[in-house]
Amino acid sequence: MSARNDILNALRAALAKGEPFPKADSPSILPVTRLDPNEDLTARFVAEVERVKGIVHRATGDDDARRIIRDLLTDRCVRRVTMWDEAHLPLNGIEALLGELGIERVQGSNEAVATAEAGITSADWALASTGTLVLSSGPGRPRMASLLPPVHIAVLTEDRIVPRLEDYIAAQRAQRLGVFRGSSNVTLITGSSRTSDIEMHPVFGVHGPLELHIVLIENLG
Amino acid sequence: MDPFSRSVTIALADIQLQTALDRGTTRGVNARIGAMAETTDAAALRHQARLARERALNRLPDLLEQLERNVVANGGHVLWARDAAELNRVILELCQKHSVRRVTKGKSMVTEESELNHALEARGIEVTESDLGEYIIQLAGETPSHIVFPMLHKTKEATARLLHEKLGMPLTDRPEEMTRFVRNVMRRKYLEADMGISGVNFAIAETGTIATVENEGNNRLSTSTPPIHVAVMGVEKVIATWEDYAVLVQLLARSATGQRLSVYNNLMSGPRRPDEPDGPEVFYLVILDNGRSRILATEYAESLACIRCGACLNACPVYQNIGGHAYGWVYPGPIGSIVSPLLLGPTRAPKLPYASSLCGACQAACPVEIAIPDMLLKLRRDLVQAGDPTPGWRIGMKLWAIAFKSPTLYRLGGRLVGWLTRLLAGRKGYLRRLPPPFDGWTTSRDFPAFGAPSFRERYARRVHKT
Ligand code: SF4
Repeated sequence: MSARNDILNALRAALAKGEPFPKADSPSILPVTRLDPNEDLTARFVAEVERVKGIVHRATGDDDARRIIRDLLTDRCVRRVTMWDEAHLPLNGIEALLGELGIERVQGSNEAVATAEAGITSADWALASTGTLVLSSGPGRPRMASLLPPVHIAVLTEDRIVPRLEDYIAAQRAQRLGVFRGSSNVTLITGSSRTSDIEMHPVFGVHGPLELHIVLIENLG
Repeated sequence: MDPFSRSVTIALADIQLQTALDRGTTRGVNARIGAMAETTDAAALRHQARLARERALNRLPDLLEQLERNVVANGGHVLWARDAAELNRVILELCQKHSVRRVTKGKSMVTEESELNHALEARGIEVTESDLGEYIIQLAGETPSHIVFPMLHKTKEATARLLHEKLGMPLTDRPEEMTRFVRNVMRRKYLEADMGISGVNFAIAETGTIATVENEGNNRLSTSTPPIHVAVMGVEKVIATWEDYAVLVQLLARSATGQRLSVYNNLMSGPRRPDEPDGPEVFYLVILDNGRSRILATEYAESLACIRCGACLNACPVYQNIGGHAYGWVYPGPIGSIVSPLLLGPTRAPKLPYASSLCGACQAACPVEIAIPDMLLKLRRDLVQAGDPTPGWRIGMKLWAIAFKSPTLYRLGGRLVGWLTRLLAGRKGYLRRLPPPFDGWTTSRDFPAFGAPSFRERYARRVHKT
């Protein structure tokens, strides 16, 4: 018999006497993180990101956001950038900006993307209570842009901030969990890559990006 | 001396290990306590997490079938392995099929059960552990000593020496510099790998999604960069819903490292879609039993609820003193003392259920409320029933039970023993050596004579006075 059937049969036999835990029906409803209902979500998000060694740059509008990105790139002498297609960013003019600065946009093979010194993405959502970004992969939205380059710049507007992980899940539930079926990879990013492997002493910048910059564009009106 | 007692004796005398354990477990305990205290309601959340795991175990075969259907619908493949040997065989076949020569691995405890690395290396496949701690352990030719912090037994000084000797890193005592050095070494490995192998923290049945939890980014790199991704899970890792995932993943982070969420929670549903620019082209999920279905049928089923956060290890006074290697197998600490005898068979790890003072610190720390001390006691009972003790031990225990059940006998016995110890101890007030069969107690410490009057006598006097 196949391993599959053997295993499933063994499990069914183990449960034949009845459920091992009869009183386990109440669903998970209590959210984990504390959050005051009147709390300002943007302020909380910014504070949480800073706790986990990310940097939030608040932009008053698109022009301001482009200026911040320009400064981030020029301050680090970036020559190559990999990025999500502009259609997936909340502001345009980034490709034009790269051209103006003489920065090459690399894409395609991992080898090519690995030469980029910065990656620019947006995020589907941001979670205020944990300082988390949610990124889903898709056409024009490579995973590598938030992973391989030493600097990750994520651009999003303030209205993308929801209170908690539980709210994000509830929103996906309302959409029949489509994102988890349609996208091969959803990543929750909370701060900069870190390790505590050496004597549980925290060190930032391990295998993922060394710097995480979030450009947060203020909502109009 | 039996193997367990021997490794404990060695561990206790290892000053480096003791330093590393002290520094590590103290940080771990404090981080968890702080992070659990600032939740909405720690007790209610732990219960909620527990129920999420119970629900999954109740419906394990159905959920696994649902998971399989959805992984396939997402374009992935599902393979099954009855035991450790079959797991290695399945993965070796995949390597052959895809002509794999280089593998990077994200953290996976299940593949430690099957010693997959050895099996792959024996076929000439290069395997690189990509988690910083796992990588350093691999360089040293050692095994993990903690399920979350694999190199907890190593001081930073020993780590620096190792990296210096093996890879020529300039000596430093700064973890920051060691980390940066390893980052640069690992970069090439990811890009050259033909296959990435990872563990699974949770498998969400309703969408066929594999969730991994990590801080370094090595797991994301191992699962996204190579053209093939193989995820390996024990049957117990499946959960029913995304709501259950939300509570479990957050309690895992808080209990393991004191973070609100781990840095990267990677949610993978099959291979890259045809129109996606990157990610693996092929995705396999391998589901391993290796004794778990046997456990599900027993009164130890709740040990399968474990989410491998490591909190019980940090909290355990025995683990704090002997470290992970002394336990002799993949899973150390209190939960290891349950899981190892259950997975390996009781005769392979007969001392582990006794490696506990039953203080309950493990259960108090556990995010899914596993009754670890209860199960340790039951395992001891099983060992006794299986004929572990000598006839002398059996008779001694019988007499002990009779004396304990009768107040008169207890009082008389207590008086007799008190008097005897005082007589033998003399002026010093303690005994250098107890007579057999109690001499085990005095191999590493003295035995103080019982005080007079006894507690019972003093208590009786007090009650009379008031
Ligand atoms: S038994 Fe509980 S505390 Fe120990 S590793 Fe498992 S989940 Fe964590």
